[in-house]
Amino acid sequence: MDARSAASSRGIPGIRILGTSIPCETNEKSEIETGVAAAMDNIIAALTDPLNADEKSPKQRFEKPARIAFTGSYEEVSRYFYRKGWTDGLAIAPPTEKAVAEMMTGTDLPSDHVVVKLIPRLGKATVEKIAVNAVMAGALPTHMPVLIAAVKTLMDPRSRFDTFGVSTGSWAPFFVVNGPIRNDIHINCGSGALSPGDISNAAIGRAIGFNIKNIGGARKGIEDMGVLGNPGKYTLVLGEYEEESPWEPLHVERGFKKEDSTLTLFLPNTYIQTIPRDTNAKGYLETYASLNPGSMSCLLVVPPHAKVLASEGWTKKRIKEYILENSASPFPPVQGGRGTPILQTETGIDDLMIVVAGGPGAWIGLLRSAGGWENSFVTMKIDLPRNWDRLVAKYKNVVPAYVGY
Amino acid sequence: MKKIFFVLILGASVVMAGQDPSSVQSAGKTAEPQFKVLSPWAEADPITPRGISTRLNTLAGKQIGLFANFKRASRPIVAEVEKHLKAMYPGCETSLFDSRGANVVETETNNREQFIAWIKEVDAVILAVGD
Repeated sequence: MDARSAASSRGIPGIRILGTSIPCETNEKSEIETGVAAAMDNIIAALTDPLNADEKSPKQRFEKPARIAFTGSYEEVSRYFYRKGWTDGLAIAPPTEKAVAEMMTGTDLPSDHVVVKLIPRLGKATVEKIAVNAVMAGALPTHMPVLIAAVKTLMDPRSRFDTFGVSTGSWAPFFVVNGPIRNDIHINCGSGALSPGDISNAAIGRAIGFNIKNIGGARKGIEDMGVLGNPGKYTLVLGEYEEESPWEPLHVERGFKKEDSTLTLFLPNTYIQTIPRDTNAKGYLETYASLNPGSMSCLLVVPPHAKVLASEGWTKKRIKEYILENSASPFPPVQGGRGTPILQTETGIDDLMIVVAGGPGAWIGLLRSAGGWENSFVTMKIDLPRNWDRLVAKYKNVVPAYVGY
Repeated sequence: MKKIFFVLILGASVVMAGQDPSSVQSAGKTAEPQFKVLSPWAEADPITPRGISTRLNTLAGKQIGLFANFKRASRPIVAEVEKHLKAMYPGCETSLFDSRGANVVETETNNREQFIAWIKEVDAVILAVGD
């Protein structure tokens, strides 16, 4: 179905596609010999059998989607959307005309403005469609500037989202937010930044997932061929804890001004955590290297460790150099030696980023990807609407206030 | 656009302009609010489909392109296909294109010119996806 979908999206729906009995990605000679022998008659037929009418002149299938999807109770709406494959499996907030209009107060762009066309279907990410999906995810209008920047980063060719978004490797988009917007919209950078419980971290990532599914058309098991899947696809968003970091923030490292608000994207397969081998700079560094970060990885350094390291003269750049020099094999060949990760620099230093985040404690986090495929981190400035200050004031109090006990 | 909601009072229907979502009352009992919701599914530009190339009458004496994609299984698969083709069709020639890009369209890589030259010299292509 994936191959058929890809062929159709390229305008050649009639391409003859044959399955074989060969196990996925095997290089077992006997399996391949048996599978190919069994498939040969069909392969020859695919090259020699005359074309049928549909193969000669395929008909165009185009249906403009209705703007109004459904009318029903909350439960009916949620179930209707689920049955259409438009959700992440959880209940959604109903995207009514009023809620969507309110969501669009988060941008100065007109509702029909096409921000990008999202792969694989090249669906038009209009401001209104982004807003509809944002409402479904429970986002706030103050999240719209981030969501607009997010779809742009996804379609930036440097991210290679065209491959990773639907790959068998279940790569999940991970976003780091930098700059003043973190505090404006309460992006959690501290304790439990990657855990549920903060509307911005949760709803922004969830809305991006909906955009990928409903605008991009990445249907699980059809275009999205992730073999094991990835819980990070629910949401994987945090802010860098700039106030607690002794180093320059990620976006400044990447050429932006400190007062800019930015979004940085890359797509990891895995998130791992561990504790340091020893409670000093040497212990932290040895542990970082032992995690063996692959090309395109993000090391999460907690503020207490960052301060110890900085006090001993360790910069982000020096730490990256240490990791690359002391890792067992940070960039191993892939696909049985058919491919070698393509690094941005010879040393791989630009394929590793360091972000200061998290609360008090001694843990180390690593978002790791399975290899670099001509991709790189993508950082974009988040453009704010003219009414930003008013919007921030309006939604500033949307924060959890836990019950005391 | 303002929303409309329906209020039923003692069996009489009164149409009122009001807030979103609409709600229905019946015999003093409030029914579930009704939500008219927008579709999240995006429009895409129509794609004009093309037919596939006319098939060959026979593979005998033809030049068959074997395209191995990036995945590790593709190269041994096309090698096996080549062995069968040559056994079944004496005089059939094969030409390998060994793609090393990770799931990219070959015409969008640095191999574009090489790929275009290759495709012009073959009569048909068998593409092995090693996934």
